[in-house]
Amino acid sequence: MRRFFMLTASNLLLGVGLLGICGLAAFFGGQPFISSAHPATSPAFVRVIHASPDVGTADVFVDGAKLLSSFAFGAVTGYAAVPPGPHKVQIALVGKGIGGSVITQTLDVNPGYAYTVAAIGTQQSGLSLEVFVDNNLLSPGTAKLRVYQLSPDAGSVSVAAGGTTLLNGIGYQNASNYLTVAKGGYTFQVTSPGNNATLSASTMLNANTIASLFVIGMFNGTPKSALVTSQAPGLPGVPNTGSDPNPIVQVDVARSLAPWSWPLGLASLLFIGSGVFVRRVTGKR
Amino acid sequence: MPAVRLFYLFLVTILLLSACSNFVPETAVSTTGNVNAERPYVPEIPEIRSGNAKGNRIPIRVNIPSVGINAFIETVGIKADADLATPTQNPWEDVGWYDMGPYPGQRGSAVIDGHLDRPGGYQAVFWRLGDMKVGDDVQVTSNGGKTLHFRVTRIEYYTPEQAPLQDIFGNVGGTYLNFITCAGDWIPSQHQTNLRLVVYTTFV
Repeated sequence: MRRFFMLTASNLLLGVGLLGICGLAAFFGGQPFISSAHPATSPAFVRVIHASPDVGTADVFVDGAKLLSSFAFGAVTGYAAVPPGPHKVQIALVGKGIGGSVITQTLDVNPGYAYTVAAIGTQQSGLSLEVFVDNNLLSPGTAKLRVYQLSPDAGSVSVAAGGTTLLNGIGYQNASNYLTVAKGGYTFQVTSPGNNATLSASTMLNANTIASLFVIGMFNGTPKSALVTSQAPGLPGVPNTGSDPNPIVQVDVARSLAPWSWPLGLASLLFIGSGVFVRRVTGKR
Repeated sequence: MPAVRLFYLFLVTILLLSACSNFVPETAVSTTGNVNAERPYVPEIPEIRSGNAKGNRIPIRVNIPSVGINAFIETVGIKADADLATPTQNPWEDVGWYDMGPYPGQRGSAVIDGHLDRPGGYQAVFWRLGDMKVGDDVQVTSNGGKTLHFRVTRIEYYTPEQAPLQDIFGNVGGTYLNFITCAGDWIPSQHQTNLRLVVYTTFV
């Protein structure tokens, strides 16, 4: 019986000591929760501009349902959320109904992306929808400017402001890269060398916005060529809200060992040693 | 030496070595950022604020009962690198409302961010944001004393490059309040985690 109790005591001492060591290991070995990425289920975001000279005021249908009514030439919408995937887009003269569509096109949009969809073309060249992928990440303290050349007979255009050429060689059905410009008032001048003509438009560009300049209409025909401006709020990037799990610590304000850790470690070793000693004594008797 | 004693000695040695491997040796780093340590100093990027937060709709407190989050809300702007800024007054306990976006309860996507953890891996205010479930209730109180309720609709993880910014910050198709924090693994070379967690909620 005495031997039994001595062995039990030694096991207890050893167990408590090992638990203490395990606790220290767990405390200093812990890491933040680790997760893996899920597939995104975000909608796409689409805005529409009516830039087709041969389509008057129109109704816009998406997947058979009317999205826009009496959509006038030169009008541009804000970004609307659209489920990702393919969508049948139809444009008909106002009041003619979906059966009178003059443009029918399937557009495939991806989750999380922002698009500008331009209704363009003439009866002669063909009516269609041109899709541009937008980048609305803001530029801190400044504006981002993009020019969309949607005029069928403008040819390749250049853009200037204050006597300075900002952009060159923007062809039909193309959009420029984004240009970062200081906030403030601008008079933009778009020149069509082929027509020896310049269009002007004045606007105020706000900081942290995305400005769009659309060249539409006909230099030799109707509706007359014009510039349409639009601004949307720029979007920030996602924040960095994580911390280094193994930082370099400061000597005078150190994340030192918790005050209880050294006594716990020492006590654990004493328990283990005691357990071994008791076992040894028990074994000799 | 008997086998049992040898086993215990071996086990203790292994446990002590594993605990010691996680102990970071102290190296001198001054609080002003003058570093004589091995790792490079990452300077803080100054924040740009809009100053738009006015009136009695400024959010001041968020309460998420399902995960025990009850925090003061600071206003935050953007950093010079275009990223959303994070709270600075009490970085680990407070959350930050993006004041260049809509107020919570206003049409569009209001956004609140908060730290997942603090240096050394200790918990910060949004440590349990990832435990939220679709349908959970969120309460936001304004400086005007009004409390608004939102309901969780989606919980998503993204890499920073693939985060859908238009969805998080620019969806004007309803009245939303979205929460952001970090997730995943720490990448030392990038000084950030590899994922972001976004909890989407809608005004109810």
